[in-house]
Amino acid sequence: MWNRGLELGAWGTLGQGRAVHLSRLRLRDFRNYGRLDADFAPGFHVLLGRNAQGKTNVLESIYLLATLRSFRGVGGAQMIRHGATGYFVGANVTGAGDHEIKAYWSPKERKLSLDGRPVRKLGEYLGTLRAVVFCTEDLQLVKGPARGRRRFLDLLLSQTETGYLATLLRYTKALRSRNALLKQSGPDELLLESFTGELVATGNLLIAARHQLLPRIAPLVSASYQRVAGGRDEVEVVYQPAVRGDFAVELSKARARERVMRTTLVGPHRDEVLLRLNGQSALAFGSEGQKRTYAIALKMAQAEHIGAVHGVMPVLLIDDVMGELDAGRRAGLIPLLQRAHRSGGQVFMTCTEENWPVELASELFRWTVEDGVLKRATG
Amino acid sequence: MASLPEPVAALASALGRLPGVGPRSAERIALHVVQAEPSLAQHLADTLLAARQRIRLCRQCGALTEPDPCPLCSDSTRANGVLCVVERALDVLSLEKSNTHRGRYHVLGGRLSPLNGVGPEDLRIDALEARIEPEAIREIILAVSSDVEGEATCTYLARRLAGKGVRVTRIAQGLPAGSGLEYADDLTLARALEGRREIL
Repeated sequence: MWNRGLELGAWGTLGQGRAVHLSRLRLRDFRNYGRLDADFAPGFHVLLGRNAQGKTNVLESIYLLATLRSFRGVGGAQMIRHGATGYFVGANVTGAGDHEIKAYWSPKERKLSLDGRPVRKLGEYLGTLRAVVFCTEDLQLVKGPARGRRRFLDLLLSQTETGYLATLLRYTKALRSRNALLKQSGPDELLLESFTGELVATGNLLIAARHQLLPRIAPLVSASYQRVAGGRDEVEVVYQPAVRGDFAVELSKARARERVMRTTLVGPHRDEVLLRLNGQSALAFGSEGQKRTYAIALKMAQAEHIGAVHGVMPVLLIDDVMGELDAGRRAGLIPLLQRAHRSGGQVFMTCTEENWPVELASELFRWTVEDGVLKRATG
Repeated sequence: MASLPEPVAALASALGRLPGVGPRSAERIALHVVQAEPSLAQHLADTLLAARQRIRLCRQCGALTEPDPCPLCSDSTRANGVLCVVERALDVLSLEKSNTHRGRYHVLGGRLSPLNGVGPEDLRIDALEARIEPEAIREIILAVSSDVEGEATCTYLARRLAGKGVRVTRIAQGLPAGSGLEYADDLTLARALEGRREIL
């Protein structure tokens, strides 16, 4: 249903003609920015400044335009500047054409428009700007519980396969309904069966989509890992579905246990993605540096896969990642990022003076951020 | 800060509880009513009360009606034996406008929703079963929404009605009339393909 049969090698085939970049950003009362107007060229942008000056807020606003959510996991109210009633984020996105996005959010009112027209269906808006963020929390992809890795798959599939998100929402609704029934004392079997049907139908679609995705991103993760880490670590990403055979049969086998546990015990909501390093679990046996590299490699694979499917590299947002890598790994990551912008894309990276990567070439745009003011730096 | 006189505020708060009326609209309507001719308020109050008192649910099909049973149930020119099951009373009006169903109706009064505490006993399913024999129902058409809860409701009804000698059917899902493939989402297209049929 979702297979578009795209088999592009991510980097090689990204043409120069189909690049998309954020050409203008406007912020009003967003976080610590009373007012920001900036024009950005395609290429590599470094935002320099001390801590707590507002560097990450710029990345957050760009990510917000792409996904309509914060990568810091907060609601709209927390992004309003202290004392203001609402925030505004506007942007121009330049690709094959020029698009103007305007988003206003206040506790009472939210407005989102694309090219002057209010957005009625999110599906028609999402995809105008695509972005992938690299931040310190990514480490949880490796160290945290399976939920984070399922979210990673879901996010990537939602961004690359039409219909996946709608199916995921249906599955979640069926799952929550079914769990509500299992919580009742002596649930009506016929009623339970009725929701099981929908759970199985949508669940099978999710499993199939994840089965197709994994072999496509696994080599990308492995390649990115090798480039960042150098060395000979062997990286293997393996999909481990909770359902091995027939979903409906396994569910009916689990019924007795479900009656005791009062929740749905089998299904893609219990899937796991194994991250292996030299044949062992990266979580259990990897060093801190290896885990960080793994997290970056997963994000890089996400960006490349999105780039391959849509033929347009997403904007890369790199927040505070450099400081955590040793010199060798930094030296490996920088060329990856540079390759991203050379293929016509755009990279935004935050940095403090102390961890300014000397490896960075001169072909970049430097900006300084000080107390909610963004300025183009010279030199 | 001066506030609205108490009776106006009370009216606005009562209006604000109506669907589709926000606090600002409620205030505007309340202010309009208290400043207009007294006959307007009288007329509003009279029609409100009359409508509420005279309208009830048809004891047979559950549609909104003044006479009981409703005109659709008592219309002798309509075909017996085919029942169209819908969620809400309003759905009967939509179907009637399309003028294609010439049989009878049955309003469930909602759909199964465990997350909102709506179970089979909260819907008019017993009443539906009770109609099968006396009305010699041959076919029950399920015209229920196609979301998760609607689908589950259909499955539930189909299984519960199985073995009662009635044909249970589901209305088709697919492309809206007159629209092209390019505007359809994947799920709609998949359903449309599943529900395909021969032309000749």
